[in-house]
Amino acid sequence: MAGFILKRLLQAVFVVLAVTLIVSFAIRLSGDPAIMVMGGGNVTEQDLQNIRQALGLNRPFYVQYLSFLQGLFVGDFGKSFMGGTPVSLLISQALPATLLLAFASLLTSIALSVPLGVYAAVNRGRWPDQLIRILSLVGLSFPNFWLAIMLVLLFSIVLGILPPSGMEGPESFIMPALTMAIILTATNMRLVRTSMLETLSQQYIMVARSKGLRDRVVLYKHALRNSAIPLVTYIGLQFGNLIGGIVIVERVFNWPGMGTLAFDAISNRDYPVLQATITVLALFIVFINLMVDVAYGLIDPRIRTE
Amino acid sequence: MAAAQASSAPRRFFKSFELVVGLLLTGSMCLSVLFSGFLFPDGGESMDLMARLTPPFTDTAHVLGTDPLGRDVLARVIVGGKISLTVGVLSVLGAVVVGTLVGLVAGYYRGIAEILLMRFADIQLALPFILIAIMFLAILGTGVNKIIFFMIVAQWVQYARLVRGSVLALRDREFILSARAIGVGNGRIIFTHILPNVLGPIVILMTLNVANNILLESSLTFLGLGVDPLIPSWGGMLADGRTYLQTAWWVSVFPGLAIMFTVLGLNLLGDWLRDFLDPTGQTSK
Amino acid sequence: MKFSTTLKALGLTAAVALSPLMASGAQAAGTLTVAVAIDPGSWDPIDTFLVDWSSAANNIYDGLTARGADMKLKPALATSWEFLDNNARIRFKLRQNVKFHNGEPFNAAAVKFTFDRLLGEEGRKGPQQSNYTSIDRVEVVDDTTVDFIMKQADPVLLTKLAGYGAMIVPPKYIQEKGDAHFNMNPVGTGPYKFAEYSPKVSLTLEAFPEHWGGAPKLDKVVTRFISEANTQVAELQSGRIDVATLIPFGLAPTVEKSPNLSLLSITGPTVVSLRLNTKEGITKDLDVRKALIMGIDRDAIIKAVLLGHGKPIASFQADLSFGHDPNLKPLPFDLAKAKQMLQQAKVPAGAPVRIDFRGNDATFREVVQAAAGYLQALGLKPALQPHEPPVLLNDIIPNGKTGEAWHQSWGGWTFDYDNNAYLMYHSGEKWNPYYNDATLNALLEKQRTIYDVKEREKVLQEIARYVADQALEIPLYNQNTIYGVNKRVKSFDAPADRRFRFTETTVE
Repeated sequence: MAGFILKRLLQAVFVVLAVTLIVSFAIRLSGDPAIMVMGGGNVTEQDLQNIRQALGLNRPFYVQYLSFLQGLFVGDFGKSFMGGTPVSLLISQALPATLLLAFASLLTSIALSVPLGVYAAVNRGRWPDQLIRILSLVGLSFPNFWLAIMLVLLFSIVLGILPPSGMEGPESFIMPALTMAIILTATNMRLVRTSMLETLSQQYIMVARSKGLRDRVVLYKHALRNSAIPLVTYIGLQFGNLIGGIVIVERVFNWPGMGTLAFDAISNRDYPVLQATITVLALFIVFINLMVDVAYGLIDPRIRTE
Repeated sequence: MAAAQASSAPRRFFKSFELVVGLLLTGSMCLSVLFSGFLFPDGGESMDLMARLTPPFTDTAHVLGTDPLGRDVLARVIVGGKISLTVGVLSVLGAVVVGTLVGLVAGYYRGIAEILLMRFADIQLALPFILIAIMFLAILGTGVNKIIFFMIVAQWVQYARLVRGSVLALRDREFILSARAIGVGNGRIIFTHILPNVLGPIVILMTLNVANNILLESSLTFLGLGVDPLIPSWGGMLADGRTYLQTAWWVSVFPGLAIMFTVLGLNLLGDWLRDFLDPTGQTSK
Repeated sequence: MKFSTTLKALGLTAAVALSPLMASGAQAAGTLTVAVAIDPGSWDPIDTFLVDWSSAANNIYDGLTARGADMKLKPALATSWEFLDNNARIRFKLRQNVKFHNGEPFNAAAVKFTFDRLLGEEGRKGPQQSNYTSIDRVEVVDDTTVDFIMKQADPVLLTKLAGYGAMIVPPKYIQEKGDAHFNMNPVGTGPYKFAEYSPKVSLTLEAFPEHWGGAPKLDKVVTRFISEANTQVAELQSGRIDVATLIPFGLAPTVEKSPNLSLLSITGPTVVSLRLNTKEGITKDLDVRKALIMGIDRDAIIKAVLLGHGKPIASFQADLSFGHDPNLKPLPFDLAKAKQMLQQAKVPAGAPVRIDFRGNDATFREVVQAAAGYLQALGLKPALQPHEPPVLLNDIIPNGKTGEAWHQSWGGWTFDYDNNAYLMYHSGEKWNPYYNDATLNALLEKQRTIYDVKEREKVLQEIARYVADQALEIPLYNQNTIYGVNKRVKSFDAPADRRFRFTETTVE
């Protein structure tokens, strides 16, 4: 088992390094941060040279990359090109914002998909099942920015009950989390339904039922517990996609998270901020995948050999 | 199994309902887009600043109204499907071809090809996709072909993994082993014996990804990384129309509905295909 | 409207369910909230060029001079000035008994420190130094007098001293706390002092009652960073911000029809044109360039796309700009004549015209499509290529990779035609990839050495006329600066250049 974990860890390190290399290299292919710092107005080549010098952009790529890696190991991500804010400060504010939103979205989605999935499974083939499945597909058929804008129009402009943007009180989580959750729910609901159906057809549930336990108790105590594992796994593996979706939702809701940070960093060619945000996000995704793998390795020894 | 008792009348009806509605939505969209050249010879580009923001259902010349530049919304919605569908279909076709080939080779021969594929897949999984898309489009510049190219690069791994998995399950099965024993070449085994057996899951994934990529294209346009605004596209109309949501809802609501119906149709088809081709639910997405 | 009624009906249930959460729409009394698009990341004057920096920081700092909302220069930390030694030396008398927010006194040493820093090593790392290179050094005469020794003539120096890099900073504070601390905790002499900064979210300022100009009337000014225009307007409509600065013209009617909001539209510094490729393509030919100008109905575009929030221009400068010539008129719109000129120049039907532009500018996306519509009417084949700003600014324009035309949009805050003209028309400049003309170069160089206002204005006007004769660009419009403002805001002097100063403003 230790060997398996070690192997996985080494793979994870390799993946994160590869990600940092790809990102650092790609972002330098076009555009010049110096001109973004200068604002593209009254500039001479000499000004640009001065700025490049100050930002350390005159060094060869491998030197810049290695110094980024070096910083990574001591936890120093450097300073933003735009104004010199320490990148670690920016990330320490943005990461919790994104993780909180991700968490809230998952919770909302679970709160929606579990009862719906269970209800659909119990009514398999009858109209509530069909209706739930179709509605979940409808939820999957909107571009998420569109859904977000519509929610703002409804709840902030027409009804005036929710703040249209920002991360302030708990009420500011409702719309962003709902936008994400509607998209997640379509697939999560399906998973719950499928695994519920499987569990329901198993022996011990039949036994439990035949012992005269009430339906609801059977459902929630036995069946649901067993269908939780595939759901959690799936969510773990979907974390990367979840983060991707959050980038757009953050933009519409002006959410001060990693997506906003990275998006601005791309348009400003703010290398330190972009490298750091993507590395941190990749670390999270890899870590969660690793946890899922290890958990599976613990449960099912056959996987370790693959 | 419980599946037998559930094949009741409403269920069968529902299955065909999914198929019928899915085909109807997707089919009618595809057809009108296909014939948009005949329906709207101007390609939805004729401008009339005097007739800007005509509300829908008030003018027979502009049934769905006009946009801020006085262009016909109906024409642009129909013509605009071209970009979305082209991006959706071509990107998926490209990814399928590349992914399937790599997956077949990696699964059948294993060795270095497989190791490379798996590590590549790990890296791809760890990259937040949208951010990478934004970065690459910012760097490479925008354009339909670049969006398609990027989607292929980003998605072939899904197919490769899927195919590899199926091949691994198949390669030691009796009928393959016996084919090999009687001297059938590797290439023939792969294409006549293995490939047909992995088509089902691929087709399901394809349908769902076409839907996904149509949405993705519109998101990228929303983020300002779209194509020439003269060429109508659903994503572009949605993105540009959001400014007018409160004063001229029709500019962005109709393209929004067009996207929704198309994607819904594809999702319904994908759902139907899944039950039809893969009743065990391996590809539950 | 029907659509919103449907929405209302749909939302009724939700409203009931969520009503306990009722967002606190109303703002605290005495607090004004402004939304700007971008967080500059640092509040140090030498670190940034962003207008959004100035929208907030103009309340924290003072310059030696100041420019009010009427765009007129007036004394600020300097009470008077005189030109000595044939304009090579400018002597400033400083205001007395002025204190920085941290209690440090303002004096000649502070002025010298500010400019030594700006012109020295520290300033070289930022974008502001290059605006002030005409200054050689600053000398302290006595505690309340400084001399600026000039390296070369700079006709707009006094304006430049009213903003950005020339804002006076506290020497002791910066020396003690260091530059990094100052970036995040700015101290100046302005009417509001720094209270809190949360990167990418907001900056909060509090009144500084000891300000030399009298105590400001507001308790707090909050600046929020919101980069989506729709989001700014939604925040404005729900009463959570008082002033929105990012309003594409398409959203202007939305603001206008909201009962609690008003739309302010004032002539601003931003001018927009389509520059033409004089080296390649059909635009190589002077008559073709003129035909393109005449073929595009700029007045119609201003009316229909800008909804009237703009003015036609004849040269690349605003009305307010020094060098503006009211007698210079743009070529009139004349489709028939334009077609005829194209024919004479033997331009084939369907000849391509590619326009490169900034893809993230919502208003211009519409403008350029309207312009393309007119080019189609001329029988040409326009193609529009949106770019990400860093790519357009760093590669496409400077390296001469544009199509027949490209998008140029600038708003020099000093309102001096030189600001635009030299960089756009002098050969070898970054923003002039194609054109090289000895006459024009000579004119551009000449005006930079003239101090005499009248004479310099004449040369600048000559430049504008020359550029118009050569049809180097399609001058489109001078677009208004527009603000969405909550009606509870009173005595808000809306500045054309977005450099707010909220001393007299109050909120109900």
